[in-house]
Amino acid sequence: MFSEQAAPLAQGLLAPPSAEPPTFPRVPVSGYSDCSQPFQLGERGFSRQYAHIYAVRLAGMRPGLERRARSRWGNDIALRKLSELQAGERCCVVGTLFKSMQLQPSILQEISEEHNLVPQPPLPKYIQPSDELMLEDELQRIKLEGAIDVQRLVTGTILAVYGCEQDDGKFLVEDLCFADLPPALPWNGPSSDRFVLLASGLGLGSVSGEALLSTQLLVDVVTGQLGAEGEQSCAAHITRVILAGNLLSQNTQSRDTINKAKYLTKKTQAASVEAVKMLDEILLQLCTSVPVDVMPGEFDPTNYTLPQQPLHRCMLPLASAYATLRLVTNPYQASLDGVRFLGTSGQNISDIFKYSSMDDYLEILEWTLLAGHISPTAPDTLGCYPFYKSDPFILTECPHVYFCGNAPHFQSKLLQGKEGQRVLLVTVPDFSATQTACLVNLRDLTCQPITFSGFGADSED
Amino acid sequence: MADELYLENIDEFVTDQNRVVTYKWLSFTLGVHVNQAKQMLYDYVERKRKENSGAQLHVTYLVAGNLLQNGHVCHKVAVVREDKLEVKSRLSSLASVHVYSIQKALLKDSSPLYNTDYDIVKTNLQHCSKFSAIRCAAAVARPPPEAPPAPPPGAQGQREPGASTANGHGPAAARAPPQQRGIAGMFAARAAPRDTPRDGRAEPRDAPGVSAASSKPPTKNSIMNNFFGKAAMNKLKANSVPEQPKEEKEAVKPSVAVAEPESSPSSVAEKPGKKAESAGIQQKDKKSKTKRADRSDEEEERDPENVQKRRRRIKQLQSDSSDDEDVPPSPTPEEERAPSPAPAPAPKAELEPAPTEVPAAGRKRKRKRVLKSKMFIDEEEGCMVTEKVYESESCTDSEDEFCKPKAPAPHKQPLLPTRRDPKEEKKNLKKGAAPANRANKQVSIMGFFQKK
Repeated sequence: MFSEQAAPLAQGLLAPPSAEPPTFPRVPVSGYSDCSQPFQLGERGFSRQYAHIYAVRLAGMRPGLERRARSRWGNDIALRKLSELQAGERCCVVGTLFKSMQLQPSILQEISEEHNLVPQPPLPKYIQPSDELMLEDELQRIKLEGAIDVQRLVTGTILAVYGCEQDDGKFLVEDLCFADLPPALPWNGPSSDRFVLLASGLGLGSVSGEALLSTQLLVDVVTGQLGAEGEQSCAAHITRVILAGNLLSQNTQSRDTINKAKYLTKKTQAASVEAVKMLDEILLQLCTSVPVDVMPGEFDPTNYTLPQQPLHRCMLPLASAYATLRLVTNPYQASLDGVRFLGTSGQNISDIFKYSSMDDYLEILEWTLLAGHISPTAPDTLGCYPFYKSDPFILTECPHVYFCGNAPHFQSKLLQGKEGQRVLLVTVPDFSATQTACLVNLRDLTCQPITFSGFGADSED
Repeated sequence: MADELYLENIDEFVTDQNRVVTYKWLSFTLGVHVNQAKQMLYDYVERKRKENSGAQLHVTYLVAGNLLQNGHVCHKVAVVREDKLEVKSRLSSLASVHVYSIQKALLKDSSPLYNTDYDIVKTNLQHCSKFSAIRCAAAVARPPPEAPPAPPPGAQGQREPGASTANGHGPAAARAPPQQRGIAGMFAARAAPRDTPRDGRAEPRDAPGVSAASSKPPTKNSIMNNFFGKAAMNKLKANSVPEQPKEEKEAVKPSVAVAEPESSPSSVAEKPGKKAESAGIQQKDKKSKTKRADRSDEEEERDPENVQKRRRRIKQLQSDSSDDEDVPPSPTPEEERAPSPAPAPAPKAELEPAPTEVPAAGRKRKRKRVLKSKMFIDEEEGCMVTEKVYESESCTDSEDEFCKPKAPAPHKQPLLPTRRDPKEEKKNLKKGAAPANRANKQVSIMGFFQKK
């Protein structure tokens, strides 16, 4: 779809120089609005406990869940709080899930001297058959059994369960339901082809330089330097580039300067300094040609807790001189040309991956949409700001494009909801590993991966 | 024929200089559109191969198109060597193919291509999309951040519109005052004593403030370097004429007109570099104000001698108050040059008055560079550290510390401190990027024994 129009002129440049070569204007920005104000933190105070965020999360999602429960199991079902439960009565309870896992890293166990434990090495998954699920509401908690997939669910999800309390004090679940897709947003998409390039995991500053040529090729395609005329005119339809996190590589995170002797590290520079300079140059090349939104990721120089705040523009002096550069939060929500984008740099999905039996990033992405919450595992296993007034990660409107960055490979799916919602789910692959980015066509909500490669000593296509 | 020139150029690059010639490198080097560069490379390859089929020429191509992979149609963009060009047949639809680079040697991998592109982009960062096939109207550079604010006279705000067109941006009223404030503050000091002997007009500060503000972007280094050069003076003269007409734009005409000829020479003397720039840009306007031009001619004649006077005055004052050991009565330009390479963040206002020996309004103070040894105990290292730093010391005995950047890391002092210190001092100087300093400052050995 990106290059069908380009095909006729494909070999046009295999010819002697012609007259004035054409220059294509970039399609103008129309209808951009940044909707990520809930993720922007102003004054931050960390003196609060995290219990409040669960309280507001439950309070925020309870009405919607009760509505869903009624529509699913009948209007006359009994909606009970845990404190009102009576043994044997079939009722519906809305609450927060808690999964107690043996392998879950616990800081208290690590520093406890009586256990004499060596800190547990990070595992790809922390699930075990012996994990248990509890349902908590404002006052009590109860153990869940029955028709519920313990391995699949994660802590922090708000759901409604239908069943009855047993004599042994456990709740036998017959059915459960999530918040499901939020209400749809009106569709105002463009009528002609407009593309948005999604890329993540540029991984600058890594020791290996294989991905550097691919990064340069990506920049060249977007800025219209590469390709024959047909491809360049198609590239002129790219209205925006969104870099979804991990612009710096994990290698820049090493803090061995802490362990080394001071005289050895006196004049050394953090690896991220050089990497950020490289990032600045790449962003400058992009910004002179296309609007760019830069989201921070796990390894980028910004705060660790979600929502991550935008990178500061003093780190990017060359690129931030241009108005086309926008430094945005993670998660990021914006309306481009009437199409609502919502996405993260992937920390939420990879955290759920670690604590759930779900293996497919696209499946997890879809599940978070159906559960109505971007990142249910925050603050339990993923760092999060202690919100207390409202939880900004609750999904209140259904986006048109929902993406997550730094996935192992590219996947995309168009989800149709019962109430007319249409969502394009995209898992943006890690560029430094796959050299693949995604092109989303705003007109028809389709997505195409675009791969770049050079040639090495062992070149094969 | 001019068109064939590129063939010779490419030939020279590839065979004589043995370069890896990528399309991007060629585009920047010859200043042509990227598509033209690709076509030029192709043309060269074809011709070279036709005339000499055994030519040692290796070509890499860029192939792009759709490919069915993992169940979806993937758009693939790849740089391939010539011998692997048949991969384009694997693509379900070809989007583009063109020459990527030409080089003499067979490339094992694509890193030389990347390096060539990286280098040429690095040297052309400011206009990296100049020869690209896509132009973005939205990509405009924001105006650079403004100088430290200081209260401006009203006239400056009016003059700013003319001056700021030098930057290519529409004037912002908010921008104007901050720019002029900083410069006005600087020049208030400068202009005042100059004018007092002549006319005692206070207005001139406006003009220098504005013209200085307008040409603020140019580096201070050039200002300092041109400060007292005779050649610079002549240039300034030439510039001051167009400067004056340009400066009169708005309401405050009569008084400012009078003030301008005076002020412009002074401002000109003070900021020759800046003037040159803005004057160059603004020369065309408003030559009609002949009156002022005439007056300016008169002023210019007096100009050099005033500057000389001022210079001499400065020099004398300098020698009066200079420290015997470190600061010989060196020509003031050296002095001026020294502060200028000081770190940019140091407020310009501070640096400007420093070289201007004419006291700032209300403050009778001179500054000079003094090499001092600072000794302190570094607790965490558990040692004594001696640093030789240049401090800007004012002769009113209120010390100003660290106009000059000091070496970032304190050096340990176990043995032979004397040997270390000159080294450290060299490091200090290097870090401060003030090569001009060294020629004039001889570090006396007495400096080591001085501070206890």
